[in-house]
Amino acid sequence: MDLKVEPLKCTGCRICEFACNFHYDGSISPIGSSIMFYREEKKNYYGLMVKREKSLLLGRPEGERILKPGEQIEGATASSKPILLRVACDRCTEEEEGPLCIRACPYGVLSME
Amino acid sequence: MEIMNNYTGTILIADLARGACDTEELSQELVEQALGGAAINMALYEKYKDKDPLIIGTGFFTATFFPCSNLAVLTGKSPITGKIGHAPLTWQAGVELKLAGFDFVVLCGASDRPVRLWLHDGLSDINDSQDIWGADVWESVDKIREVYGDDMIQMLVIGPAGENRVSIAQVSENYWGSKDSFGFGAAFGAKKLKAIAMRGLGSLEVAEGFFQKCMELKNEILNGAIKGKAGLKDFIEPLGLDVAIKEKVQSATHRLNACYNCPYPCYTFFKYREAPTALAQTGVADPGCLTAGLAGLARFYALGIDAPQAMEICFKAGLQPAAAAQILEKKGIKDLAAAEAALRECAADSTLKADAASPWPCPVSLPPEAGIFSSAVPPQPVFAPASAFGQGDAGLVWVKRQALAYIIGMCPIFALLAPEVTNDRVVELVRMSAEWDDFNKETLDTIIEKLIKQSMS
Repeated sequence: MDLKVEPLKCTGCRICEFACNFHYDGSISPIGSSIMFYREEKKNYYGLMVKREKSLLLGRPEGERILKPGEQIEGATASSKPILLRVACDRCTEEEEGPLCIRACPYGVLSME
Repeated sequence: MEIMNNYTGTILIADLARGACDTEELSQELVEQALGGAAINMALYEKYKDKDPLIIGTGFFTATFFPCSNLAVLTGKSPITGKIGHAPLTWQAGVELKLAGFDFVVLCGASDRPVRLWLHDGLSDINDSQDIWGADVWESVDKIREVYGDDMIQMLVIGPAGENRVSIAQVSENYWGSKDSFGFGAAFGAKKLKAIAMRGLGSLEVAEGFFQKCMELKNEILNGAIKGKAGLKDFIEPLGLDVAIKEKVQSATHRLNACYNCPYPCYTFFKYREAPTALAQTGVADPGCLTAGLAGLARFYALGIDAPQAMEICFKAGLQPAAAAQILEKKGIKDLAAAEAALRECAADSTLKADAASPWPCPVSLPPEAGIFSSAVPPQPVFAPASAFGQGDAGLVWVKRQALAYIIGMCPIFALLAPEVTNDRVVELVRMSAEWDDFNKETLDTIIEKLIKQSMS
């Protein structure tokens, strides 16, 4: 089972990043999250990247893309902490009520499949 | 009582005349007296009154798991009214400011040359801004992000209108204007302050059980008054605006956006330089604009011109869109080219007088106290009646609801959408978040009443 993203439901509220960081660190911050929100603001082009154990999921508006380790992301710009340095999603297996990102998202963007 | 779950503990005092910054501790006593947001802003305004202060403050819950906790508040003497005004800053400003390490910023005096304030990692720099003085808002945002090397920098920035001290100049949240209806763009211009740039990689602690309680409240909100609704389009009929604009808004909408942690996506991105359905990353670099400014959209549509394109011209110039549209209406403007020329003239006219009437083209009935809060926010609750938000006169219910939002750091538009966020729930979550057993409904009511009274005096 892996975290799945439906990008067009996303509104960019970013609470998933903060919920994920809270799961690992018990604090409010976006930088420890396995999920990284990406936005080109003037174009309103945005989506979620998820660091998984064996791949990187790009939840892009035009369609999902999965990158294997070592593949380049074209057009990537600065971020708070590069996705490749982040912890891979551990599926919140120890959380009683399931993944915190899924619980936090108001828009049903995230699911486990 | 513990403030580290809500604040970083730092107030920045930026002396623009000296070109230097100092910090003060945010004391537990001040939080106990005034909680946060506009109420603490007022305490700081009184303290620094002789230094022509503008205060930017975060709310008690800003940047926490509390639903829609994205607000920062800009408090100062309005260039339009000459009295105290509180401008709500949503989008990303509130979160970025608090996580940059500053709960409150006091801007004192004026610089003798163009500067910008750069807040990051608990550091505050006053940097020269001659490079972008004269540049429009969009050029300024791009340049600041390029110079400091980070596309995720959030900023409050003025355009030519603010630099020219035009009364209806706004402080803009990145490219997209704001709900500043007090002419604070001109106040920034008078201080030669081009921008405040912020980047927040800090963190806050979280009280035991707080995440769980916030999720419960969020789920009640999602199943409550906002259920089945989204965007600005669903505000049009309830507010009594011209229903013909609903289809115009929908057909030009690309996607809906939400501010930090908000369960209702009111920010609408309009595309007009490419098809609204275009999704690819490789499309036009500047396909349209993002706004929650429904009053401005409604007023520009009423002139018979393409409202989103007119909004973009206002955003670039740093003009308050609804106020600008009211001026264009008096000039009898009916096409986009004439509107563009007229808006450029407005952005250079320091003698311009703002229209005294409400920016909303619908019936508005609010008491004088309402004038301390932004008129860019809908003048009544949207989906549920006023009685769902409090007892008594609907206008006073609106004022108190706004006061609550501006103190706790919740978007004041959202405050009018979600009656599920009751004062009782707020009290419960304040007590839990700050381990503050003495906090109660009476304390909250007192802080709200004091904010209103102090702002009016």
